[in-house]
Amino acid sequence: MQKAFLVDSDKCLGCNTCAMACKNQYHQDKGILWRQVREIGHEEYRTDQNNILPTLVWYAKPPKVEVPAERYYASIACNHCEEPACVAVCPVQAHTKDPETGICKHDQSLCIGCGGCVKACPFGASKFNEQLGKAEKCSMCWERQADGKLPACVQSCPVEAIQVVDIHDPKYANIGEKNPLGLDYAVEAPTKPSTRFIHSSMPNKVHRL
Amino acid sequence: MSYSKEKVEGILNDGLQRRSFLKGLVACGVLSVLPGGRLLANESLNTKIPYLGEKAYETFRNACPRNCYDTCSIKTFVKDGVMQFIEGATESTFTNGGCCVKGNSYVRRVYSPKRIKYPMMQVGGKGSGSWKRISWDEAIGHIGDKFLNMKKEDGHLLGAALTKYSGNFGITHYGVEGMFSSLGYTTRFGGTPCWPAGIDAQNFDTGNMWCNDPEEMKDSKYIILWGVNPASNSIHTMKYIYEAKRKGAKVIVIDPLFTETASKANEYFQVKAGSDGLLALAMAKIIIDNNLHDKKWLKKNSHGYKEFEKYLKTVSVKKASEVSGLSEKLIHEIALGFAKADPATIWIGYGIQRHTNGGSMVRAIDALVAVTGNVGKYAGGARYGHLHTWGFNYNAMTNPKPKGSIGYTASNAVMGDMHGADSAKKVKYSDRYLNINKTAEGILTATDPKIKLLWVACKNPMAQDFDRNKLIKAFNSVDTVIVADQFFNETTRWADIVLPVTTQFEEYDVNVSYWHYWLSINQQAIKPLHEVKSDLEIASLLSVYMNKKEKGSCTFPQKYDSKKLTSKEFNKGIYEQFGIKSWKELENGPVKAKAVIPFADGKFGTPSGKFEFYSEQALEYGHTALPEYLETRKPYDKYRLTTLHSRFSLHSQFQNIDWMEDIHPEPFVYINPEDATYKRIKTGDMVSVFNKQGLLRVKAKITDNTPVGTFMMYEQWYNNSIYNVNELVDDTSSDMGLFKTGAPGVALQDTYVNIRKV
Repeated sequence: MQKAFLVDSDKCLGCNTCAMACKNQYHQDKGILWRQVREIGHEEYRTDQNNILPTLVWYAKPPKVEVPAERYYASIACNHCEEPACVAVCPVQAHTKDPETGICKHDQSLCIGCGGCVKACPFGASKFNEQLGKAEKCSMCWERQADGKLPACVQSCPVEAIQVVDIHDPKYANIGEKNPLGLDYAVEAPTKPSTRFIHSSMPNKVHRL
Repeated sequence: MSYSKEKVEGILNDGLQRRSFLKGLVACGVLSVLPGGRLLANESLNTKIPYLGEKAYETFRNACPRNCYDTCSIKTFVKDGVMQFIEGATESTFTNGGCCVKGNSYVRRVYSPKRIKYPMMQVGGKGSGSWKRISWDEAIGHIGDKFLNMKKEDGHLLGAALTKYSGNFGITHYGVEGMFSSLGYTTRFGGTPCWPAGIDAQNFDTGNMWCNDPEEMKDSKYIILWGVNPASNSIHTMKYIYEAKRKGAKVIVIDPLFTETASKANEYFQVKAGSDGLLALAMAKIIIDNNLHDKKWLKKNSHGYKEFEKYLKTVSVKKASEVSGLSEKLIHEIALGFAKADPATIWIGYGIQRHTNGGSMVRAIDALVAVTGNVGKYAGGARYGHLHTWGFNYNAMTNPKPKGSIGYTASNAVMGDMHGADSAKKVKYSDRYLNINKTAEGILTATDPKIKLLWVACKNPMAQDFDRNKLIKAFNSVDTVIVADQFFNETTRWADIVLPVTTQFEEYDVNVSYWHYWLSINQQAIKPLHEVKSDLEIASLLSVYMNKKEKGSCTFPQKYDSKKLTSKEFNKGIYEQFGIKSWKELENGPVKAKAVIPFADGKFGTPSGKFEFYSEQALEYGHTALPEYLETRKPYDKYRLTTLHSRFSLHSQFQNIDWMEDIHPEPFVYINPEDATYKRIKTGDMVSVFNKQGLLRVKAKITDNTPVGTFMMYEQWYNNSIYNVNELVDDTSSDMGLFKTGAPGVALQDTYVNIRKV
C-alpha cells in the first residue's frame, strides 16, 4: 500500500483551509507550514514574493497553459515518496517509512537537528524549526488515520479537493498526473513522490472587457 | 501608575518562558485549575501538539458567530481545560466537517498572546498609547458614575451612544443593546453597513428578504453567480455549485472582477461595475420578446407586470451592451439560457448593491428571476439572504426602561437590522438614532445633547467605517469612549477605557445563519482566559454597581449566567421550525430547519400580497415604482476602486492572528497590466493610492483579474500595518436602506482613486 494525496486543482478554491487546518491540528510554530497552497499560473507568482516559501526548490518551467494569476492552485505537503530522500539521509532513523501505509513519519524526539532531510528533500517538505533546532513535516495525520479519521487537511477541505488514495490500488494506479500544472515538479525526481494531481481547467467561455 | 507603549506591549506579550503551553501546564500542576495568565500562547510553542485519539478529548459544540454566510457548526476538542483543535461539525451537511481558513485559526485566536487581558485605561488621553491596567471594579465604577452623572446633569441619557455591529452575531449578544435599553433612552447608531440597499430592494419586491436553502442549488439547472464570490467568502456553498455543475447545470459568473469563483464557473462574463441593473432588464426584455416568460406564474403571483412590460419597451439591448461591455449576442445567450432552464436561480452578491444605484439593480435582478417564474420554486429563487430562522426571543433586549426615563421626542424611530423590522409603535419617547454609516458625521453634529459617552461593542469602526480621519476627530470629541474587544486594534487606540471580552468558546450562545438553515448551540468549552468577561456579564456588573449607587437606575439582570441567558432565547416557534423539543438537544449537534421554499404558497409580504414589479412603497421612499435603470455615481477621480472581502479576514477580524500572517502576510493593490504599464508600475512596487479622502501606501500586484480602469483592494485590518482601505472610501450613500434598516447603505464600490509610484 502507498497512501498518497490526490490534489484536485480543478476544484481547489485556493481558500487555504487545508494549510490552516494543519496548523489548527498541530500548532506549528510561526513561519512553519506543513501544507502550503501555491498559485499556479503566471511566471512571476511562482517565485516567492513574500518570503514565506524559504526552502522549497522549484523546477520551474513555463506553464503549459495560460492560466490567470492567483486563480489556480495546487495544495502541497509532504509527498510521502516511495523512495524518500529524508529516510535515506536521516542518520538516526527519525524518519521512517511505514511499511504498511507508505507514510513517511518523522519522530521529533529522535531528531538531532542535523538538517540533512531539509537539504535532501527536493520539495522542501521537511521544515527546520529554528527554535527547536529540529526538523518537522507533514505526517499525513497518521495518528488521525489510525483513529479512523481523515487527515485534518482532507477533512476540512470544503470541496473535496484533497483526498487520500492508495496509488498501488489498481483502482487509483493511473489517477491524476505526477506533476502539478505549470510546475515541472516531480517528473524526474528519483524519490518517486506519491502525490497525484488533477489539473485545473478554464471556464469554457471567458468574456473580458 | 502609567505605562509607556512599549511596556504595554511587554504586558501583552508577557509569555512564560516554557517549552510548550501544554507541558508548561503539566509542570505547574495546574491541569484542572487554570489561572488565566498561565495560558498565554507564546509566539513560539516550540513543539507540535500530537493528536491523541478522539477519546482523549472532551468535546464541545460551538458555532462561528462572525458575519459570514457560512456560520459554521464547530466541534471543539478540549484536553485538561485547554482547547486543542477544532473541526467543523459533521452533523451539519452544510459545514460538512470543515471550517474555513479563518475558523481553523480559532485556537490561536483564543490563546493569542495579543489578546486584551485586563481592563485598561488610556491615561494619557486618546491615541497617547499611555495605558494603565485597572481592575474590573474600577472600570465598572468609572463607567457607572459617568452614566449616573450624565443623568444628573442632563436629566436623561441621550448623551450616551452605542455603536455595535457584526463582530459577534451570537443571539445573546443582542444583550448589549439590552444593556443600553435598561439604562434609559440613549443614542444608537442604527442601520447596517453591509446590505441595506438590497434588503430594501427585496422588501419592495417580495415584502421580505428570504432566500432558498443554498443546499438546493445542487439541483438548479442554471446558476448565475452575480457579483458574488463564494469561492472566497462562502466556501461551503461551492460544493453544491460543483454538484450542480457535475450534473450538467450551467454555472455563470457575472462580475467586474475575474474572481476565484469565476475561475471555477462554466462561463465568466466581465461587466462594467454599476451596469448590472440594465443588464438584468435587457435580459428580461429578451426573455419576454422570445415569449419565454412564465405567463401563468406572472398572472397569478405578480403585481404591476403590465407596467413593467411597458417599461421594458424603453430598454435597449444595444444600450445595455454598451453600458455593460457584453455583446448583444452574449446577453441574448445568457438570457435565453436562463429562461429555458428549469429550475434556474440567481445569487445576488452584496457587492452589487454597494453602488449609488445598488437597490435598483437588485430589484432589476429580482424582476428577471420573477419573469421566468423561478420565484417560489425549489432550487430557484433570487438569493440574497434571509432572517427566516432568526425568530428568537432576544430576551436580553427586553428589559423595561428605568422608571421616569426621559428620551427623544422627535419621531424618527428607526428599526434594527437583524431581528425583524416590525412597525414602530407610537410611544412618548424613543431612543435617538444616528446613521451607522455616517458615524463620524453623527458624533460631530449631534447636539442637544452632544455625545458624551460612546460604547463600542462587537465592532472595529476605525478599521471598518468610512472617512477615518473624520472619525478620529469624532472620537476625540467624546468625553469617554469605551471599547469592548478581544484585541487591541485601531479603535482601541482611540478609546479611554478598554474592556476585554470573551470569545465564543468561553461562553454559551446560539447561532443561526442568514444564508443556510442550520441552528447551532455554542457551549462554553473553556473557562474565560485572563480577566475577560462576556459582553453580557459586563452589563450585569454595571447593573449591580448602578443599582447599588442608585436603586432602580438599571433594569438589566444583575445575575449573569450565559447558559441560562442562552436557554431563554428559545421558544415554541424555534423548536417547531427546527423539529426539536429542547435546546439541550443541540448539544448532540446542529439541526436544520424544516424545508421550506420561500413564497411557494404565492403569499408575499407586499401590500398587494404579490410579487411587486410596481411598488408603491418604493415610490413612497423616493424611488421609482418600477425597477428602472439608474446610472451609477459619476467618477470623481481617474480609476474605480473596488473593495472586496478577503478570504483571510472577516472585515477587520482574523488577519491579525500570527498563523494567518504565515499564509497571507501583506496587503496589495491589484492593478491591470495596461494601467500598470501606463503608470510604469511593476509587481512589488510601492505605490500611493489616493483621492479626496486620503492616501494609502501599499505594494502593487499586477493582474488581469481586474479590468482596465479598475483597481482592487481587500478590506482588512493588519496587526503590523497601517493599511486600511477605508481611508479612501467616503460615506456616500447607496440608494436604498431607509425602508427596513433605517438608513441607507454605503456606495463602497463607487469609490474613485488615482495612483502614483513612490
